[in-house]
Amino acid sequence: MKGNTKKRKWDRRWEPYLLLSPALLIVLVVMGYPLLYSVRLSFLNYNLMRPKDIYFTGFSNYARIFQDPEIPKVMWNSVKWVVIVVSAQFLLGLVLALLLNSKFRFKGVYQSVVFLPWAVSSYLIGLVFKFIFNERNGLFNFILESLGLIDGPISWLGDTGRSMIGPMVGMIWYGIPFFGIMILAALQSISTDVIESARIDGASSTGIFFRIMLPYIKPTILTTLLLRVIWVFNSSDMLYVMTDGGPAYSSSTLPLYVFNQAFASLDFGYGSAVGIFIMLLLTVYALIYLKVTKYHEAGDF
Amino acid sequence: MKAKQLRILKRVMLWILLAVFLIWTIFPLFWLVSTSFKGDKEILSNNELHLLPQQPTLQHYENAFGKTHFGTYISNSVKVTLISSTLVLAAAIMGGYALARYQFKGKKAIMVIMLASQMVPLITAIIPMFVLYSKLQLIDTLASLIITYTATNIPFCMITMSSFFTRIPVSLEEAAQIDGCNRFQSVVRVVLPVMLPSIVAVFVFAFTGCWNELFYSIMMINSEKLRTIPAGLMNFVQKYDIDWGQMSAAASVTLIPVVVMFFAVQKYIVAGLTAGSVKE
Repeated sequence: MKGNTKKRKWDRRWEPYLLLSPALLIVLVVMGYPLLYSVRLSFLNYNLMRPKDIYFTGFSNYARIFQDPEIPKVMWNSVKWVVIVVSAQFLLGLVLALLLNSKFRFKGVYQSVVFLPWAVSSYLIGLVFKFIFNERNGLFNFILESLGLIDGPISWLGDTGRSMIGPMVGMIWYGIPFFGIMILAALQSISTDVIESARIDGASSTGIFFRIMLPYIKPTILTTLLLRVIWVFNSSDMLYVMTDGGPAYSSSTLPLYVFNQAFASLDFGYGSAVGIFIMLLLTVYALIYLKVTKYHEAGDF
Repeated sequence: MKAKQLRILKRVMLWILLAVFLIWTIFPLFWLVSTSFKGDKEILSNNELHLLPQQPTLQHYENAFGKTHFGTYISNSVKVTLISSTLVLAAAIMGGYALARYQFKGKKAIMVIMLASQMVPLITAIIPMFVLYSKLQLIDTLASLIITYTATNIPFCMITMSSFFTRIPVSLEEAAQIDGCNRFQSVVRVVLPVMLPSIVAVFVFAFTGCWNELFYSIMMINSEKLRTIPAGLMNFVQKYDIDWGQMSAAASVTLIPVVVMFFAVQKYIVAGLTAGSVKE
């Protein structure tokens, strides 16, 4: 009897590991191992086209990152991409959440429809916006011309000064629901009593928003912003589909640039080095962000 | 009187903003579907554009399915997506249960691994994967996509699943165990049926994650016969002469399963996305 309970206790201790093993095994083998392998690749002269010419080169792949003339440009593009897209997604998402937090008819249906972009793939939306921003028969030029704002068709995707605008619009469209969902959930967890009593005490709607709602949803906003910045930075579907980073790298962000470089030249040593470099950048960003916002709970999300 | 006017004004503002958001959200999708029913002449005209097709035609649908391999791409995507999401779901249920119900050493480390894997840039992962898959002769097989999608979708789905489990009271299981079920039976017979909507929602997360993926699907597959939907869609627009009509028709078809699923489990998707990240 005693031995039996002991045996059962032993089983119990192993149960969680057993249950988690499929998930852990797949994630570690399919994602973890390649990551370690890419550290190794980043120190090698490794071109898929020349399999006999593989040798250790130390940090020279990393040194190349700083000599690559396109890197400063694509990093600046990345900054523009992230700052403009994330702030627009956030502000519009916040407005959407505030709208959905008020009462109106058919709210359920309305909410389902405006959250729909979440389910659609970003590359597919990229195709739609590519069509809308198309120079010759695109809707955007048609509207501008009909309103008399432009005289002739404008090349939105093929001009170095404008090539990022279309993909940014697509990306903003795509990301508003996510912010909306997160902020709405936070708003709905504010107890109505608090807001009611503030209102009875004579607080204005703006006062309630800035003094009560905003502080309350701040943790959610901070977490969502942290995640979204990383996600938008990494996300290149929209750019790949609409402009493929061109013309002349004018709409290439860092991840898209590496992707195109790596698979065009098949120089995977250099590609891996930039990949690791991107990971380091993101880690540094996340650490600074957590420190600056003093958001200690972020580990729990 | 003034207060009443202010209230009406606020109401009108609300309705205007709601309408703007609605049109902004719907329009790109509406334009896609509308274009798919327009003839080539109408699509390519640049001095006259109409919201609705002037002479509706099914020509692009017929061409997309009759003259290209789009049907094959769909069947490949269905295979890859269904197999991957089923595997993801199984791993997420088991792992999610363990994370929600047990205290054990290394739990925090496992959570960190799962969250960190979400931050890995695709570009950092895809290069070494490509090399390793080539060595294992997995390039140009549907298995490469199934393996990759299963791995990339497990972390989010498992964490979401675990937060769904924590919402189910433990007493439910305990009651079943008092009635003579063992732990496994109590989960399978009592807990999982209660959680069916959550399980469906997690399946939808996995499904959309696989169905909507672009880069792995265009890099890992070369053969025409094994291509999945994204490669097919890209084919319509990367050629020298872009075929907007066929692209729109094919893309509209691609949207159907995710849109249907989204509306079916929309409530739980919202709950799932916010699970854990919002402090209650």
